[in-house]
Amino acid sequence: MKNYEDLNGMELDTIREIGSIGTGNAATALSSMLGCEVRIDMPEVRIMGYNEAIDWIGGPEVITAGVLVHMSGELNGIMLSVQQMEFVNLVLERMMGRTVQDYEQLDELDRSALVEVGNIMISTFINALSSLAEITTHLTVPAFAVDMQGAILTVPMAEFGGQSDYIMTIGANFICNGKAVPCRLLLSPDIRSLNFLLKKLGVLDE
Amino acid sequence: MNDKLVVGIADMKMARQNGMLITYALGSCIGICLYDPLIQLAALVHIMLPLNMETGRKSPLKYADTGICETLRQMELQGGARSRIVAKIAGGARMFETPGGGNLGNIGQRNIESTHMVLRREGIRLLREDVGGTTARTLLFDAASGQACIRSYGKPELIF
Repeated sequence: MKNYEDLNGMELDTIREIGSIGTGNAATALSSMLGCEVRIDMPEVRIMGYNEAIDWIGGPEVITAGVLVHMSGELNGIMLSVQQMEFVNLVLERMMGRTVQDYEQLDELDRSALVEVGNIMISTFINALSSLAEITTHLTVPAFAVDMQGAILTVPMAEFGGQSDYIMTIGANFICNGKAVPCRLLLSPDIRSLNFLLKKLGVLDE
Repeated sequence: MNDKLVVGIADMKMARQNGMLITYALGSCIGICLYDPLIQLAALVHIMLPLNMETGRKSPLKYADTGICETLRQMELQGGARSRIVAKIAGGARMFETPGGGNLGNIGQRNIESTHMVLRREGIRLLREDVGGTTARTLLFDAASGQACIRSYGKPELIF
């Protein structure tokens, strides 16, 4: 069983490719929801220690919104869409015709729009991944929270904390109408599922 | 103040007589403040999971049981006495309401229970706690007074 930090270049490239396909599909879904062109730049895969991951996302105390979905079936894990202010306003502007300065200004309808956008992006990502690897994955109903991003990020960490000291994130930036908006889609498979997935794709070097 | 000692996840720091310890954004994790008032020795440990079941035990501070024991051991090396050490804890929230989402939502609760159990077993008196709920907490702990302070999103500061 390979842990995150043991992955070799070939395996990381495969995960990057998964990220590219998944994010590409998510971008297409986002594009049709928002009615504007959405492109992605080079996807990146990062394997980080806990405290490093929190620095990477922009500090622990910044308030952010998170949409979280559990995966089960042949692939177990968590997928998280971290929606920072720029992204929230991109969605709200296109869908609701308004923007907010603060998360406290989000009303019920705004929140529901954000959950739906997060859910559709996550589902599209997982669907693309599942058909690529020919596996079946079930997703739970999305959960939504607005709080410190450090605490939101510890949810996938705590879930797999007994297995690893690292967390893996896959993501790319969205470029929407010429403006780059960071897409924080975090795929956190458990170690067993990660190995299964790499094996299924024929790249696991045992 | 910019002389705060930042305690990361699965991390522990100590301060004596003066200095402020801080740990950010406790979700389901728990921040445990341990204090020996006589010699003003303060320790803050940020644990993530209830029980250490790792074979290698590389990171004892990640778990409530080994985290508390390791912290107590280090406090004793600094002259702390177990009979005087008292505790204050915060955290153990449930960040996402996940319907049927495995045991994820319970990690906070399990952390609280494990922390209580370990403190009782080690004979450490729990003075105050602010645990559970659904909001993240940032915990500050002042070595001079032994006072702790909690910051949350959309709530007034809580001093205890």
